[in-house]
Amino acid sequence: MTNHDRSSGVSRRRLLQGSAGIGAGLVLTGIRPWHSARADTPTLNMWWWGEQELPGLQAFVDDSVKSYAAATVKPMLQDTNVVISQFQTAAAAGKGPDIQYLWNGIYHMESVWLGYLLPLDGLVSDQVVKDSNPTLLSHYNGHIYRLGWYPQPMTWSYNKDVFEKAGLDPENPPKTWDDFLAACDKIKSKGIPPVGGGIQDGYWGEWFFGHGLSQNIDSTGEAIDLFTGARDFKDPKYHEHWVRLEDLKKHDFLNPDMASLELYPGIDLIVQGKIGMGVSVGARLPDDSKKSNDRVGTMVMPVYGKGKMAGKPILDAQGLGISKDAKDPKAAAAFLEYLNSPERLKVFWDKTHWLSTNSNFDTSVLTDPAVKAMWKMYGQSENIPYVSNVVPGQFYDNAMVAGAQQIVQGKITGEQCGDLAAKVVNDWRNFNPDMVDHYKQWAKDLAA
Amino acid sequence: MTTSDASDTAPRAPLRLDFLPKHGVLLFATLLALVPTIFMVFTALKSEDEYGINKVGFPSILVLDHFRQVFFDSPFFTWMGNSLILALGAVVVSTVVSCLGAYAIARMQFRGRSLLFSVSTALMAVPPVVMIVPLFVLYTELDLISTYQGAIIIYAGLVTPFSVYLLTTFFRTLPRELFEAARIDGAGDLLILWRIVLPLSLPALLTLVVVNALYVWNDLLIAIIFLQDDSKRTLMAGISVFQGRYDNQIPLTMAGMVVASAPMILLYIAFQKYFIQGLMAGAVK
Amino acid sequence: MNQTARLRPYLYVLPLVALLGFVFGYPLVRIFEFSFKQVRGINGPWIGLHNYQLILGQDLFWQSVEHNLLLLIAVPIMVAWSLLVSIMLYERLKGWKLYRVVLFVPYILAIPIIAVVMKKMFQFSGPVNAVLNWIGANFLALDWIGDSNVALWTVMLMIIWRESALGIILFLARLLNIDESLIEAARLDGANWWQRVRYVILPQMKVVIEFYVVVSIITMLSSVFSYVYIMGGGRGGPGTSTMVLELYIFQALVKISLPGVASAVSVLLFLVSLLLIVPLFAVRRRANEEEVG
Repeated sequence: MTNHDRSSGVSRRRLLQGSAGIGAGLVLTGIRPWHSARADTPTLNMWWWGEQELPGLQAFVDDSVKSYAAATVKPMLQDTNVVISQFQTAAAAGKGPDIQYLWNGIYHMESVWLGYLLPLDGLVSDQVVKDSNPTLLSHYNGHIYRLGWYPQPMTWSYNKDVFEKAGLDPENPPKTWDDFLAACDKIKSKGIPPVGGGIQDGYWGEWFFGHGLSQNIDSTGEAIDLFTGARDFKDPKYHEHWVRLEDLKKHDFLNPDMASLELYPGIDLIVQGKIGMGVSVGARLPDDSKKSNDRVGTMVMPVYGKGKMAGKPILDAQGLGISKDAKDPKAAAAFLEYLNSPERLKVFWDKTHWLSTNSNFDTSVLTDPAVKAMWKMYGQSENIPYVSNVVPGQFYDNAMVAGAQQIVQGKITGEQCGDLAAKVVNDWRNFNPDMVDHYKQWAKDLAA
Repeated sequence: MTTSDASDTAPRAPLRLDFLPKHGVLLFATLLALVPTIFMVFTALKSEDEYGINKVGFPSILVLDHFRQVFFDSPFFTWMGNSLILALGAVVVSTVVSCLGAYAIARMQFRGRSLLFSVSTALMAVPPVVMIVPLFVLYTELDLISTYQGAIIIYAGLVTPFSVYLLTTFFRTLPRELFEAARIDGAGDLLILWRIVLPLSLPALLTLVVVNALYVWNDLLIAIIFLQDDSKRTLMAGISVFQGRYDNQIPLTMAGMVVASAPMILLYIAFQKYFIQGLMAGAVK
Repeated sequence: MNQTARLRPYLYVLPLVALLGFVFGYPLVRIFEFSFKQVRGINGPWIGLHNYQLILGQDLFWQSVEHNLLLLIAVPIMVAWSLLVSIMLYERLKGWKLYRVVLFVPYILAIPIIAVVMKKMFQFSGPVNAVLNWIGANFLALDWIGDSNVALWTVMLMIIWRESALGIILFLARLLNIDESLIEAARLDGANWWQRVRYVILPQMKVVIEFYVVVSIITMLSSVFSYVYIMGGGRGGPGTSTMVLELYIFQALVKISLPGVASAVSVLLFLVSLLLIVPLFAVRRRANEEEVG
């Protein structure tokens, strides 16, 4: 199905020659080796992520690499989609980096169970591990596998202007579910959607799950039990959060374009006063606070549940670990300790204007009252782990996200979402029989 | 399948009454084809505030700042550079390999010749996604993830079945006397290929360059799986990240899309004929 | 013939065989091997047909299959629309060459770019609904990308929009090759416009239509990744409403780290593409013959 016009002119030939020349040149420059290591010091490969959610992190990493003399560190910023699969596949092939960025919970536990990560005890000084606050979800079988790097408070934001318009106290957001529904009614009567955001890209469903499920459980281990078969999403208390979401939908409290908006544009609507309340994260607050002239407040998800974790703020943390492929684990550990040195913690703030998880981080640098209040509530009071971080990947996409999206559209009920979740958990157990025993051990570890 | 020039001089259909609905259909189709491009350009020139209230119309005040942000605050040029390296690399590798192979298949006698041609042609219908799992594992073992070489080899391989098919059918149409004459003059195969076959095959080669370069330039699947280092990201992978990061700033996103689509649109305007012929020839890819 | 001369052809095809063997041959062998293993990372224990049992018993897999099959509905629409437009173009009305250039533009734009632009256009509070509301067609102002019942149709609309451009150009090229005297003879016999299209033009286009149909079927079953990846938020959403087989493989490999399962689906998709190779060859050969003849 081709036609070849044989009368084509000579000028085209020149064009081809020309472009071939350029092509060869570019390929050659592209293929030549692009780094040569210093010979005397060890070389550490560090695969990391985070610039995507915390602009400035790249500047911090670059600065730290440059100022560190004891080893040559080669950082590589990973793409969001492949952070885990790239590391796991590389580690399976014995080609893992020395230092790997690790999201919390299952996002690194799977690698722990597959033997891809080294426990940090004996490598990094116990004091540094403790100070870095790696959180409960980094523990397995008596070991810790991650150093905390920077915190991510899982918050709810609300707009103080909207509260004032609706005759609500902007300094006292609702604490119980009943108060919350009453507040929603008042906001709705002013023609503003009281609660919501954007769920098109799915993350909203993850965040809501983390807030909602923790209200009816007593420990993180209880959440993990939902995946081992010891407990069941069909049990009303484990899908109540989805029923509550269904309620919000039925009351017409959610913004009408929620299903077609993505996560961050949805939160922007709260900042702009076009939605009353919704899930958010702490790292957004410095910016949101500035943009809204300090009219964004932070609250905890209003309480309906009766579990021990209900009503407590959620604090998550991103972290770094050492791969089993590290040629010189001590050198990798030394670099991680360096990142936790007081001098580096200061630079971290300078570059990112965000906090480090480290207890030695001087929080007096926080000046914005809204950020200070948020950190007091989420970072410096009793907080709980983020249970969305214990769900397996298969559950994440096919139940946690997909279910919430359908509830928001009014397609399924909260109870049906519980059934869907139970079914997907069952799928996951069939697909991953080798992981289920680890989940059981993990549940035991985190049952306290 | 030709867009023959002879037809241009063919007698026009005489003007009749059904001329209006026919123009109507064409105008409607043209409008449909252009709507996304128009929306993209208009929106890119609007301020965020104006887009909030005026989603459809012409921008009341032209805002160029989004383009400044795209050019100076986003790595669009890096992404384009990466895509260019991959496209050119894959085109060069696959063209060399296919020319040699197609020449042998078309002009030489050897065992397995027709089998090789059939298998190679059949591979055109195999979707690339089928190959990614083993290649991903293999590339990890070989340290080829996030390297230009690695991605170029995959792309070159994926476009080669079509190239071999096209070149072989083309080489077969070249008159036999040409080869015999050259051979009598004592020319070897390489010399015949280089001096006689390739110059005569320029149209086919140009078609290949267009189809194959466009394939690599437009690919998303291979790019996101095999180029995981942020600094190796291609334009298409970059776009999918860009739209996620600025999804709340639609005019800025659209400015990015205008910049991303500009190279191909300009090339299309300049080399229309080769684009149309090439993409028709490469329809099944 | 001496030894070197006999070997020479093999030297010429050696790079070709090596390249195809590396990019196609090796993976096609290994997907079969992987599909029988429970792979973690780069290898794993042999588990027989278990991966196949798992996917065939999973709703999500069947949903993906169903979505790929539903996309086939687009094919007749594409054919009808491309035929209509190409026959209009064939009338060679004033400015038809300019029309032709513009009508091919959708096929020049890269799919990810189109997907990003259309995603914004089809937002619930976006321009498409703004226009629909303005002309009073409020009932049509759907939640195009947010509603699980609508999203796949929106993807299909986008595919039709882009792939029809190819159909129009293919059909037009064939039309321009038709022997004009046939049409002229029909006109002299008193055939009206519709009769000329129905009895003279369409029969002449049979082969190119078949070709386009086969190519489009292959597209719908195995190359819509870029469309759904961007439109469905990278995970086939909302819900699982735009999940297709390619995305299933991508997710199984990249997101949930189950290369064995991804390979089993790859094997199934490969077998389907093998089935399609036969008709593809047939229509390609006939299309070529027609052109030569």
